[in-house]
Parts: sequence; C-alpha cells; structure tokens
Amino acid sequence: MVGGKMAATASIRERQTVALKRMLNFNVPHVKNSTGEPVWKVLIYDRFGQDIISPLLSVKELRDMGITLHLLLHSDRDPIPDVPAVYFVMPSEENIDRMCQDLRNQLYESYYLNFISAISRSKLEDIANAALAASAVTQVAKVFDQYLNFITLEDDMFVLCNQNKELVSYRAINRPDITDTEMETVMDTIVDSLFCFFVTLGAVPIIRCSKGTAAEMVAVKLDKKLRENLRDARNSLFTGDTLGAGQFSFQRPLLVLVDRNIDLATPLHHTWTYQALVHDVLDFHLNRVNLEESSGVENCPAGARPKRKNKKSYDLTPVDKFWRKHKGSPFPEVAESVQQELEDYRAQEDEVKRLKSIMGLEGEDEGAISMLSDNTAKLTSAVSSLPELLEKKRLIDLHTNVATAVLEHIKARKLDVYFEYEEKIMSKTTLDKSLLDIISDPDAGTPEDKMRLFLIYYISTQQAPSEADLEQYKKALTDAGCNLNPLQYIKQWNLLSRVMNTGSQFVMEGVKNLVLKQQNLPVTRILDNLMEMKSNPETDDYRYFDPKMLRGNDSSIPRNKNPFQEAIVFVVGGGNYIEYQNLVDYIKGKQGKHILYGCSELFNATQFMRQLSQLGQK
Amino acid sequence: MAVDITLLFRASVKTVKTRNKVLGVAVGGGVDGSRDELFRRSPRPKGDFSSRAREVISHIGKLKDFLLEHRKDYINAYSHIMSEYGRMTDTERDQIDQDAQIFMRTCSEAIQQLRAEAHKEIHSQQVKEHRTAVLDFIEDYLKRVCKLYSEQRAIRVKRVVDKKRLSKLEPEPSPKARECASSEKVSETPSKDSEEKPAPEEYPEKTVAKARPELGAVGDSRGEDELSPEEIQMFEQENQRLIGEMNSLFDEVRQIEGKVVEISRLQEIFTEKVLQQEAEIDSIHQLVVGATENIKEGNEDIREAIKNNAGFRVWILFFLVMCSFSLLFLDWYDS
Repeated sequence: MVGGKMAATASIRERQTVALKRMLNFNVPHVKNSTGEPVWKVLIYDRFGQDIISPLLSVKELRDMGITLHLLLHSDRDPIPDVPAVYFVMPSEENIDRMCQDLRNQLYESYYLNFISAISRSKLEDIANAALAASAVTQVAKVFDQYLNFITLEDDMFVLCNQNKELVSYRAINRPDITDTEMETVMDTIVDSLFCFFVTLGAVPIIRCSKGTAAEMVAVKLDKKLRENLRDARNSLFTGDTLGAGQFSFQRPLLVLVDRNIDLATPLHHTWTYQALVHDVLDFHLNRVNLEESSGVENCPAGARPKRKNKKSYDLTPVDKFWRKHKGSPFPEVAESVQQELEDYRAQEDEVKRLKSIMGLEGEDEGAISMLSDNTAKLTSAVSSLPELLEKKRLIDLHTNVATAVLEHIKARKLDVYFEYEEKIMSKTTLDKSLLDIISDPDAGTPEDKMRLFLIYYISTQQAPSEADLEQYKKALTDAGCNLNPLQYIKQWNLLSRVMNTGSQFVMEGVKNLVLKQQNLPVTRILDNLMEMKSNPETDDYRYFDPKMLRGNDSSIPRNKNPFQEAIVFVVGGGNYIEYQNLVDYIKGKQGKHILYGCSELFNATQFMRQLSQLGQK
Repeated sequence: MAVDITLLFRASVKTVKTRNKVLGVAVGGGVDGSRDELFRRSPRPKGDFSSRAREVISHIGKLKDFLLEHRKDYINAYSHIMSEYGRMTDTERDQIDQDAQIFMRTCSEAIQQLRAEAHKEIHSQQVKEHRTAVLDFIEDYLKRVCKLYSEQRAIRVKRVVDKKRLSKLEPEPSPKARECASSEKVSETPSKDSEEKPAPEEYPEKTVAKARPELGAVGDSRGEDELSPEEIQMFEQENQRLIGEMNSLFDEVRQIEGKVVEISRLQEIFTEKVLQQEAEIDSIHQLVVGATENIKEGNEDIREAIKNNAGFRVWILFFLVMCSFSLLFLDWYDS
C-alpha cells in the first residue's frame, strides 16, 4: 500500500515534466545516457505551448534534450533541412492552417505533431489533405494527443490557462448579460482542461460540488466526459500502466469544485506571506517576477534626459531552495533568512580565500611534496564547489532585490496596518481603530487599498451597515479617490445570494482563533468537512458524482465512508496564493494527505478589483 | 498520458485519398505523387553541413567504442588472477593513449573547421543559430568521450603512485632486504596481489643475491684478488647506497608524474573558466570603447554649446549697443 501510495502522489509537476520530456524525445521514454550521441531537433510551439513549457523546463534543460531552436508557430521561420521538428500546439484553426503551410513549404525534414488537447477528426483530415498535396505524408512521423492543457506552477498548484484568460475569468462567468451558448463555451473550455489534468494524473476522482453555481455545471459536464471515456473500453485513457499506481492504492482522490462566489473577501485581502506578497505587489506572472529598478533618485536638471529604469526579471521556480523553503513564511522571517544566507555565503567565500593564501605560501616551499598533494586535493574540492557558491550568490542577490522591492511597497502603502486590520475584521475581534479613520488617513495606502479594506468590511459584517453609515463611508471613499463601481456589484451580489451560513460559521471561527493566527478560510473549511466526512450543514447538501459507477444517477449519498487521502480543490472563477498558502498550511498538520490546488485563472487583488468594477458598471 | 494517433492519421490520409479519387480532384497524388516525392528529395540541398556533422559524430563514436572495448583490459591489468588473453603491457597502454590523443586532436580540428565554414553562405539567422547549437552539441560529446579517456589514465597513474607509496612503507631496502631476501623470495609469488609490488623489491633482492654469490665467489678466490674483506664491504655498502638513491629518484619521478597529471586536470578546468571569461571581457571591452566614444561626442557637443552661447551673447550685446546708439542718434537728430 505504501509503495503504491508513494507512486500515486508523484507531484503533478513531475508528471507533466516527464510527459513533456518524453514528447521532446520523439515520444519515446527518456533515459539519461551520459555518453549518448547527440541528436538535434527544433521545437515549434504556439503561445499556449509556451505558457505550459516555460514554468517547467528552462532553456538549458531544453538544450540538454537536444533542442537547438525553439520558435513560435506564427513567426517567420526559415527552412532548415535535415532537422526533425517537434510541434506542440493547440488544435485550433489558425494553427492547423499554419502547419499545413509549413508542410507545403517543406521547412523541415520530419514532423512530430503533438496536440495539447485532443484534435477532432475533421481537422486531422485537413492536415492529411495538406500532407498529401505536398507529398509529405511520410515526413509526418508521429501524431500525438498530449492531453496537457493546463499550466502547473508549483508542485501542487495548477492554473488552467493564461492566453485566453478573458474567456474564463470571473467576470466572464458572472456577467449578467451572458448568453447560454457563451456559457457553454466557457464551461467546455474549463472541462477540457480539467479532463486533461485527470488524464495526466492518471486517476478518476470522486466529484463534489455545491448546488446552483457555475461549479455545478462544470461538475456535471466533467462527470459526463469522464464517464464516456471510461465506457469506451477500447480507447480509455485510464487503463494501462498509467493507472498502475492508482490501482494499487485503494483511495481515489476527491475533487472539490467550488465557485468563487462563496468567498469574495479572500482575493481582496492584504497578505503577509512572501509568495502572496510578491504576487500582490509586484508583477508576478507564471513564476516570473519583473522588477523595475530605478538607477539613482537624484534630481535631474531640467532638460537632461530622464534616467532610464532597468527592468529585471527573475524566475522563481521550485528548484530555488530558498524560495521553496520560504515562500509561505511571513515577511519578517524572510528578511532574516536572507541575512542568514548572506552570512553563510560570506563564511564560505572566506574559506576559499584562505585556501588561496595558503596555496600562495606553500608553493615556494619545495620540500613539502605531501603537503602539496593535500593542497591539490583541497584546491580541487574548492574549484568544484565554486559553481555552487556562485549559484548561491545569485540566489541571494535575487531574493535581496525582490525582498527590497516588496519592502518599499509595504513602507509606501503601510500594508502591515491594512493586514492587521483586515485580519481583525475577518475574525470578528473588536476593532480598535474605526474604519473611517483609516479610510480618511491620507498617507496610508493607495485608494485601491482603501477600497479593498472597505469591501472586506462590507462583505464580512453580519448585518448590512445602515444607510447613513454607508453614505458616510462612500463620501470618505470618494474623497480618497476611489472608484465606487465594485461596491455596486458587491451590493447586487449580496442581494442575490447572501450566504447566510457564513454568519454562523464565522461565530465558530472566533472560537478557533488561536494565538498563531491560524485561520481557516472558507475554502479550507469546506475541504476539511468533505475530506474528513464531517457532517456540516454547509456541505451536507453538496452533490456527489462518481464517474466509475455504472448507473448514472447523482445521489447525494456518498458511498465511501472513509476519509480521503488525496484531494484536489478547484475554484471556478479564479483563485489566488492566499488560499493556496492556507491549504498548504492546513495539510501540513495532517500526515500522509495531499492537496492539489487549481483555479481557472490566477489574479491578484488589483486585477480582481478591475473585474468587479467592470461588473459594477453595467 | 499521451495518445498515439499516428494510425488514425494514416487512416485519414487513406480516406482523403479515396475521397479525392472519387471526386476526381487532381491532387498530384497517385503514381505521380510518389515519383514527385522521390524527384523532389534528390535535388534538395542535402545539406553537406549536416552530413559532415554526422561524420564527425560517427568518428567520435568509433573512438568511444575503441576506448570502451579496451577499458576493461586497461584497468584490469593489475589483477593477479587473470587469463593470458587479457593482459596488457605498459607499451600497449602507451600506444592506446597516443592513438586516442591523435584521434581527439583530429576530431577537434574537424569541429573547428566546421565551425568556420558553417557561417559562410548562410544568411538566415535561425539556421546560423541552429548550426552553432549543433556544433556545441558535438563538442560536448567529444568532451564527454575525452573524459572517459582521462579517467582511465588517471586511474592508471594513481595506481602506480599508490604502489610506489606502499613500497616506500618498507624502509631502505639495503639492510633489511639482505636479511629477509631469502624469506621474501620464498613467500613472494603466491601471496601478493599486485604484480609490480614485488618488482622493486625484486630488484634489490636480485642485486643483493648477486652480491652474495660475488661475496661468496670473492671469499673463495680470496687469494686471487687483492680485495680485502673491508674493501668488499665498503663496495657493498656503496652499492646499496647507490641503489637506494636510484630507487628514491625513480619514486620521486613517478610521484611527480602523478602530480603533474592532477595539475593538468586542474589547469583544464582553469582554462575552461578563463575562456568563458574571455567572452565576457570582450563584451566589456566593446562597451567601454563605446562609452569613451560617447563621452568624446558629448564633450564636442558641450564645446559647441558653449561657443554658441558665447556667440549668442556677443550678438545680444551688439544689438543692445546698436539700439542705444540709435536712440542717442535719434535724440541728437531731434533736438
């Protein structure tokens, strides 16, 4: 059981990387061979493919796999004869047309076509047609459906897509003027990606979702798609050695589909952990952060050219040990750790320098042959440890820059004040400073911050504030320069679906509020209830789907009474790092359980506010 | 997991073919198509770059196979228990080393040549990049194969050095070897696990053994030679001393050889690093040159600006003086 379990919980990131490497190795499983002959190939991808590959494989790793050039599909490409080309694209109309054009122009020697999600029969025939017309049928060596239509950012976190975010954004789903067909397309996109995700994971989940939300629609469609695929025994994607691990473990994972609307406060929350701060405050996108460094703050005399700001971008990947350890820690801890690492590095540097001086002395002493041999050994070890030292230095520089940038923002906007205040609001402890004071305080934060604070307050209070109070707040907010559109939307949302349960839930939360400020967000709570099979009025009427059951009825009675070991939380409408961090903290306390977090798009508070204000304008 | 739909693709190709035949669409397919395909393939520039690159790779592959084939024998030579066929003498090993070095040199020259020629007639940026990357791969492959060779060699040298060190653990062979020469002779063959270890000890033993019968012979022919026993003893001691000195020199030379191999390895690493830095230094140089030019231009501009400023001032002054003169003139004219 243990062995099967260990294999079953290989992280989604590893699985996707292994799948990509196999694809790049001409669809043959990749084996590391140190004295193998080099083979070279060219990689062609579209923007979707680029987004999927870039968090997982660096350019150096692509080189190691033998890729000499990597190009966008829709760029100008020159013919390179005698080179096999690996394509990794979505099966859309323009992509297919461009590929047919490539076939006609005979750009490469052989073609390995890999489609990110399944291609339809008619489009396959289009390609066949073009290949026939260009007499290039033998050049098309392999055609594969990769089922990799999702982006993995961390070992246990994934996002659906980046390029067509607009299509599946919160706004798109919750628009009042959305038509049925549009909704269908959006749902289909989401279900397609989720299906690819489960194919890569190699397991068929048990699905639970709340009633009457977009999440329910997704659940119904996903259940139907999985069921169809399992029935089709000939082509089922869930048989064979991919499911080897799943067959050994008796547990199937639990998929919890929640809708963004159950908790609108969390995306607006000001945060204090490293990763979430970087996402909130800096431009952090697909594991890459872009910093603007202003070089010098002196006053430039009038007429001189303004100083240019350097843009630097860093990759924050799970390979970075410091990031992996500290991405969930509160910010002061991070600052201390950077200092600590810097001191360690300096100590090692001094060690190497001391060695250098020793070498300088001993070199003149001719009789000490044996000592020389020791020194050569030491020198060899020093030289071989040099790359590690350099790498460490680079990481320290990186994190120092990032942390400094974040710190500047915190100081300028007084984010710590906001954070504390919001924590108090959300946990219902008494507030020492009145909300009005903070809003009218001119140098605490941008108007956006104030708006966020107010919205959180508005969402979290049990009864709506009275009209007079509301007017007061509104006036203070407009004085501070905020845009009131999000408020409009929130009001409508409140009228439509005031989740009454949250009132009682929050009372319970007040009791659970420990000194450690370990607070469970609504999503975490729901997951806890469902995973541990606790009975709770909030989650009792969640629907239950099991694609493996022969009869297609959707009874609400779960057949499985044991707690689940593995769960996947998917938020329809958007998620953020705060929820992710909360889930990670929650699962750290439980042995042997794993959680994966996914969302249809990843936004920070700024982007979410923009969407809310667009919704409020209508 | 990925699904292989190549068969599906081939099936669709067949469907399309039959459909086109039915519709009577001229596709250039059928018999003509296959002929076209063959015809089209031959005049295509076969890319002699890639064929030559592949040649170099196959050469390196041959070298690798050659090294791997003889590797076992190369390293195993010191094992006591072995068959006759696998043995390799030192001369053979040196031969292998030399051959391998010549081969590696020719391969790296071929790569340099390819590199020089690769950029000649090609105008496309992508093809250039591709070729540079291909050449990098080939160089990398060559380096890996060379590593095989240098590992082998290092093992061999290390063994020799270790043996010398072990043999040095016994004190100077002269006094002791004389006493235990006989016992060593008896016990030498079956119990030692390295062949060469007895070799240096055999040497003093042999000379000692030779000296003994000499001693004995001299002792017998006492009357014939004029050598007195003291002189003989003195000669003997001198012999021992000379033998000892030669041995120690020999050992030191071996040790130094080992050190030199290590140093050469380190130097390799250093040269790699230095070459890497060369590229960076070049770019820094370019930047500095560009910067000095910019500064020069800046200076020129400033000088001109100052001149213009000065000239401007002169004109203003002139204008004011003229105005005042004209005013005076008018004033004088009026009154």
